[in-house]
Amino acid sequence: MQLLMLVVIVFLFAFPFIRPPLFFLTLLFSVFMYVGLTESWNLMGGYTGYVSLGHVTFFAIGAYTTALFLNRFGISPFATAILGGVFAAMVAALVGYPVLRLKGAYFTISTLLLAVVMQLIFMNWEFVGSSTGLWFKLLPVTMETNRLIFYEVMLALATLITLLVRWVEKSKLGAGLIAIREDEDVAKTIGINAPWLKVQAFILGAFFAGIVGGVYGYYMSYIHPDITFNINTSLLILLMAFFGGCKTWAGPLLGAVILSLANQLIVTFIGAEISRILYGLLLIIVIIFMPNGVIEYIKVPQILRKERTP
Amino acid sequence: MSLSYILETIISGILFGGIYALLSAGFSLTWGTMKVLNISHAVFAVLGSYIAYWFFVKGGIDPILSLPLLALILFFVGGIVYRLVIRPVTKAKDVVMASMVATFGVAIVVENVMSYFWRPDPRILKPPYTGTSFFIGEMAISKGPLIGFILAILAIALLYLFLSHTYTGKGVQATWQNPIGAALVGINPERVSLITFGLSIASAGVAGVAMAFVYAFYPSVQTVWTLFVFLVTIVGGVGNILGAAFAGLTVGFIIGVSAAFLPFVWVNVLLFALLLFILLFKPEGLFGT
Repeated sequence: MQLLMLVVIVFLFAFPFIRPPLFFLTLLFSVFMYVGLTESWNLMGGYTGYVSLGHVTFFAIGAYTTALFLNRFGISPFATAILGGVFAAMVAALVGYPVLRLKGAYFTISTLLLAVVMQLIFMNWEFVGSSTGLWFKLLPVTMETNRLIFYEVMLALATLITLLVRWVEKSKLGAGLIAIREDEDVAKTIGINAPWLKVQAFILGAFFAGIVGGVYGYYMSYIHPDITFNINTSLLILLMAFFGGCKTWAGPLLGAVILSLANQLIVTFIGAEISRILYGLLLIIVIIFMPNGVIEYIKVPQILRKERTP
Repeated sequence: MSLSYILETIISGILFGGIYALLSAGFSLTWGTMKVLNISHAVFAVLGSYIAYWFFVKGGIDPILSLPLLALILFFVGGIVYRLVIRPVTKAKDVVMASMVATFGVAIVVENVMSYFWRPDPRILKPPYTGTSFFIGEMAISKGPLIGFILAILAIALLYLFLSHTYTGKGVQATWQNPIGAALVGINPERVSLITFGLSIASAGVAGVAMAFVYAFYPSVQTVWTLFVFLVTIVGGVGNILGAAFAGLTVGFIIGVSAAFLPFVWVNVLLFALLLFILLFKPEGLFGT
């Protein structure tokens, strides 16, 4: 299994050098971006079961950070993407403690509000370009090289985030987070510092989302509050994680790959409205019929095999 | 800035608030009683606006005359949504969470179906009597919000009277207070859920008509309306129709006062920040029990 993963990753890294049409690089860039976002969201939403709709805020803060550094000081976003993550993490730390006191739907609504309030603020804040948005210079290379660089960077980022989330899942932090999901009060009585663990997961998720956002902003070369803070991005992330199965690291990966490919293809060839209608329907179907995601159905044969070879 | 201007803004704020109250009453009802957090509530209000609009534009039927029919249509729509989405979801471990995520899906589907068939451009419902204003001294009060407000207050009163004074309404209340006890005296819980949800959607549709008297509407405006629904429901306390009514008026008053002194865009920032604040420090609502 690990060998297979390694082969796939090496192949993906080598893929642009066989000179595929640019469309594939664009398509895969967005797939990697959603992998990074969904995996980082899952730290909070999947392991602890605190469903956040504010993830897009951290993503957008990352994009704005790198954009502002490039515009004001001329520092390359590849150097400041980490700073984008740091700023996103700082905002997460600031709102994390109060917001994470809330449970269930109240938490979700407050994160939704966070996203909306931040969007409204950025819409009206001159320093960050308000409602005209921010433009910035592309890399001084050809279109092909440009796409290639961003492809490789986003792939590396998505791989790194996925591996780190996988590592967290198996660490003590991950065990604590899962205990919180199963029963927060019981987890507290056995000495798990629930508030601190939740804040840690929230900050870590925001940090990754900020970095992804930083690279994304540079890739788009134009950012606007309506696009970067779009609440639909949060919903898409949520759907991908739920569709794949948000209790493991592999679920969101699977969900993000399948759905972002499908989403991009439908948007490109059929239309954005149809795509949204389909993902709305899919969200309903997933919640009603497969609350553990498609990953459950993929694991079944493995379990059967184990039972057959005693 | 004259005194009459300030009074005028506050009064129109309160009129808007009454409409928000109706928009939120049904949402608060299903959340408080069925534990169904229906994010798609506001999208059905927008659907209501569109139905009234089509009746008016294509059939020439006045929005107020078409109101009973519209409420009936949306009651059935609510029934269908209940059967297809809500009933399966209420079997989940955490009903509030599961219903919230599933109805996000419903909201996305309905919004985009509307925008696919009816285009996303803004529309206004303009029967001849909404465009004018009347004057009290120097204050101008426009009739659109006033009619919407009266409609909303009447609808809330009807909803309240239905729940507290009719046999079916009492059955609904009994079930949510003690499901097993109600079932023992012969109340069908399935039917009660259906009626509660249908009523909630019907009230959303009526609120949509009232909203359409005041604002332009388009499919994606449902996100903004949803935020107002959250605001009023959280301030009023979940599951409390009269709480929603008072919260609506309070929110309207705050909108009015802040609109008199702040630029328009910051009014919303202030409102949502206020909501965040209430959520964090008094999640049971200002009028909660």
